[in-house]
Amino acid sequence: MNDLMPSGQVATPVPTIEQALYEKRQKIYPRQVHGRFATLRVIAVVGLLGIYYGLPWLRWQGQPVVLLDLPARKFHIFGLTLWPQDFLLLTLLLIGAALSLFLFTTLAGRLWCGYACPQTVWTEVFLWLERVIEGTRQQRMKLDQGPWNARKWRKKLAKQGLWIAFSLYTGFTFVAYFTPAPQLWTELAAFALGPWETFWFLFYSFATYGNAGFLREQVCKYMCPYARFQSAMFDADTLVISYDRARGEPRGSRRAGSDSRAHGLGDCINCTLCVHVCPTGIDIRDGLQYECIGCSSCVDVCDDVMDKMGYARGLVRYTTQHELDGQPRRIARPRALIYLALLIGVGGTFVSLLLTREPYAIDVIRDRNQLYREHGGLIENVYTLKVLNFDEPSQRFGLSAHGLENMSVDLRGHDIEVASGTVAPFVAVVRAPESALARTSSTITFTLAALRPGAPAVSTTATFLGPAP
Amino acid sequence: MQLIAATRWMPVPARYGAVLWLSFLLAAGATGFFFSIVDPDQLAPCLPFPMVSRLGAYTIGFLAFWLFASLSGVLAVAFTYPPPPAANE
Repeated sequence: MNDLMPSGQVATPVPTIEQALYEKRQKIYPRQVHGRFATLRVIAVVGLLGIYYGLPWLRWQGQPVVLLDLPARKFHIFGLTLWPQDFLLLTLLLIGAALSLFLFTTLAGRLWCGYACPQTVWTEVFLWLERVIEGTRQQRMKLDQGPWNARKWRKKLAKQGLWIAFSLYTGFTFVAYFTPAPQLWTELAAFALGPWETFWFLFYSFATYGNAGFLREQVCKYMCPYARFQSAMFDADTLVISYDRARGEPRGSRRAGSDSRAHGLGDCINCTLCVHVCPTGIDIRDGLQYECIGCSSCVDVCDDVMDKMGYARGLVRYTTQHELDGQPRRIARPRALIYLALLIGVGGTFVSLLLTREPYAIDVIRDRNQLYREHGGLIENVYTLKVLNFDEPSQRFGLSAHGLENMSVDLRGHDIEVASGTVAPFVAVVRAPESALARTSSTITFTLAALRPGAPAVSTTATFLGPAP
Repeated sequence: MQLIAATRWMPVPARYGAVLWLSFLLAAGATGFFFSIVDPDQLAPCLPFPMVSRLGAYTIGFLAFWLFASLSGVLAVAFTYPPPPAANE
């Protein structure tokens, strides 16, 4: 803008508000942390990644334990087979997952973000790889500031190589949830991967690389929808990571073992380690900030410093607003109880639907060509049955009809046999004596049951037409 | 001036980046919902172009949802952010 001004004129200053609200990103170099919560996170990372990378390979009785077989439109999940008809079940499962996230957020704040979010988990691995190649925080900063010499090239290439390899394997695993893993591996090794599989493989690899290697904390700060609306679930009893201002201030450096109170100082020695370890680059001592993902690295590092100084731990700790204000901690409160009640409701509905789920279904359509036919004192109606078999093996079924006296069903000599996961049409001719019809239109019921012991019966109703009595 | 400045807080690439990202989330949801109701194999005879595999249909569907959601977002952003104030203002 200034360049366009004629010389001699003073340019209107660019409104500073633009820069103040959206500053340029500073690269963050988180320092490695050791401690209780860091150990917990490593356990969570290893456990969750173990599940992610291991599940597609796991087989049980010759079947993959988890296979979201999109090409065949069925999901195999722990011995259960879900069809598109089970949309409601899947929806309930997702609503349940969302509600449990709400409940956990109300009770424990950003526990999800700090330990279980894929963004955190994969970033943790990428940071670890970075540390292995480039060294500690100081070494990384020095390397980035230094000239592009052979050593820097070697380190950067090695890091990128490891990151890309890890991302590619992550992308491969993602696709292995949709195509059986051993088959996919064979295809990949023979360079015979289908075009769509290749697309998703590269897409997911790229997303992993971009999010965990490059974007990192920016995903949490600018992209995460959950981070934006979670404040709606927070209250004064939610567990947050907070700096104990009353105890820490006034902060200041001092010699170990010296009496801080005599110097008029609080417990914070202003070592700024809590800032160095923060993956989002904030200072927890400035109070609760939306950038804080609750990773508790600052808690670990501060506890360490407090130990060295001989002070009590917990200057930075998991606490609640009420607790900091000297009030008692409440866990059972309306907000949490409402989320819990909703969760139990959705969970109960899910389980009862799952338990009463019919393994097959029947659909009846009346033949539209003719209303009815008279045949030797009998009235005849023709129907098309559609039988859906959601069960794993192919099934044979028995059909019966009720609702009129002395009625009969004729399948024209066909057996009702339906392969697994398919729909098959059958023609059924229903006959009833004219004397049994009280009106022109009667309701009849078709009942279908598999020909095996203990098979449940499913029913549907249809209209049976006849002459006026 | 102050008001205009306050609504222009996000740099242009970040604005459209946000559109792309949120459209991506929306497209993922829409794809799941749409294809749990519609089987592309049964839709195929009605389509004026050659059939692809189901996985291909899902992918194309996803990309189409993403495209249309992005278009809507891009227009919304373009309409919401006013043009920069003239230099002599």
